[in-house]
Amino acid sequence: MFNLIKMNLYRMSRAVSTWVIAIITVCFAFMQFGSLKLIFDDPFNMFDGSASSMVSFDRLDGVSAVSTFLQNSNVLIILAVFVVLFANAEHKCGFDKNLIGLSKNRWKQTLARWISAVIGMTALIAVGFGVMFGLTALFVDAFTLGSAVAMFKSLGLMYLGAVAFSAIFFFFTTLFNNSVGGVVSSLVISLGIFSLIEMLLDMAVKKIFSSPKVLPTDIFYDSVFMNFSHADASTKAILIFAGISVAYIALSLFGSMMLQQKRDVK
Amino acid sequence: MDYILTTNELTKQYGSYKASNEVSIHVQRGAIYGLIGRNGAGKTTLMKMIGGLSRPTSGSYEIRGKNGETTEKMMSKVGILIEAPGLYPNMTAMQNLTTKAIALGIKDKKYLMGLLEEVGLADTGKKKAKQFSLGMKQRLGIAMALVNKPELLILDEPINGLDPQGIAEMRNILHHLCYDRGITILISSHILDELSKVATQYGIIHEGTLLEEESKEELFSKCCERLELKTNDISKTLEILNAMGFSKIEVKDDAINIYERLNESGAITIALAKENVQTNEIALKTEALEDYYFQLTGGKENV
Repeated sequence: MFNLIKMNLYRMSRAVSTWVIAIITVCFAFMQFGSLKLIFDDPFNMFDGSASSMVSFDRLDGVSAVSTFLQNSNVLIILAVFVVLFANAEHKCGFDKNLIGLSKNRWKQTLARWISAVIGMTALIAVGFGVMFGLTALFVDAFTLGSAVAMFKSLGLMYLGAVAFSAIFFFFTTLFNNSVGGVVSSLVISLGIFSLIEMLLDMAVKKIFSSPKVLPTDIFYDSVFMNFSHADASTKAILIFAGISVAYIALSLFGSMMLQQKRDVK
Repeated sequence: MDYILTTNELTKQYGSYKASNEVSIHVQRGAIYGLIGRNGAGKTTLMKMIGGLSRPTSGSYEIRGKNGETTEKMMSKVGILIEAPGLYPNMTAMQNLTTKAIALGIKDKKYLMGLLEEVGLADTGKKKAKQFSLGMKQRLGIAMALVNKPELLILDEPINGLDPQGIAEMRNILHHLCYDRGITILISSHILDELSKVATQYGIIHEGTLLEEESKEELFSKCCERLELKTNDISKTLEILNAMGFSKIEVKDDAINIYERLNESGAITIALAKENVQTNEIALKTEALEDYYFQLTGGKENV
């Protein structure tokens, strides 16, 4: 397993897509910093974008910096694209044929690929966040570090969310055996097309049960993520978010490993 | 007999279609086993099952006498090159080998360089795999298959699409691997003439079914030489040949094939001339492996 992870990291470090995505992530970090800077330099609070809704205007702390970077849907999507490209590369070029027959436990190769993808994602987040955090600390006068515990808690939960988000993409890429399938399903999810389905499901459940305790939107990832991302998220919302994220990771990974174990290589 | 690989009624079924139908082959250790069959005959399906890329619907296979599907150590002694070589196009030859070597825990760079030398790619340097010719890619594919030090090498159509020089290079590599390194090779091809130059054992597969399995000697004895005779009167010619004592005779279309006393073409011509039978053509012909294959599988329309 350790050797497989090492192999995946070796190929990851030599893939053009890794470096392209790293550059894009750094660009996003610069853009996020730019929008934060504009908000703080704007005395009349004219900016009404998503970034401005996340921060107060008298001070900026570490938690807000984490939020603005990792709640950016562009960052989440580019991380997911990284996972899709990385997960599919081995199959796309046929390299998987060199290894898959050598082990009866094929699922280990999927697990190793997933762990490597998460390591890659972590590195990308660290670079992007580091750039943004550094620029903010240097150039925004109102910046204060604030509570380090709160910042790392926020960062940890956001990170868990990003990993869970990309786990879904990893599964779709494995399921469709190509990056197009993974990217299309990623876009379908991230564009909120499922929101309509979730609302209809909610309505159906409410019609069937007079006062249901759990609604579909309570367990669908995007709505859970939305509830959690509110500034005044309750402990319950945070726990639900963490639980659902872990469940998504476990299910996606289990599904991907089973597909690899059972499916023939074409 | 020392078999490195045996398959026992190996079957792969997709819906009602059997891509491989109860195929039982026996590959001797140290042999180059040629799987002959047209495109779609089931060669690749069989090789994928043996190589662990696809699971048999039924049947089993044994590598060195142990179940190949459930014994991990056995599978690690198999190197495969199925269809196109699986290479990272943006990596060099050495980086591709290193990638597989890392996964297998092999750290010896000299060993990897040795593999590149064996397949004639030691001097490719920083050239990326996507810039390689088809022949170079195939040779790198073989080097990849050799990384795990296999005892059995499975090569699916490795000479497909190669130019004459590439085919000759591949032939030399196969001879080297088999005779110098003692690696048993299971190779498929539909280029029968080329396969006949390297294989020592043959399995003829058609529509998923193994039609025949035989040694080179057995097969080549069936692909025998003959005298092909064309005259203006076939029935009279047959009478004359019978009178001369020829018995291994066959009439095929407008020609008479004679399978004995092949050095008596002069005497035949004189005897025919004496009886006023005109000889239009008499020639020594060899029935190639291809002809035998066509005969076995039901004709050229099947190819």
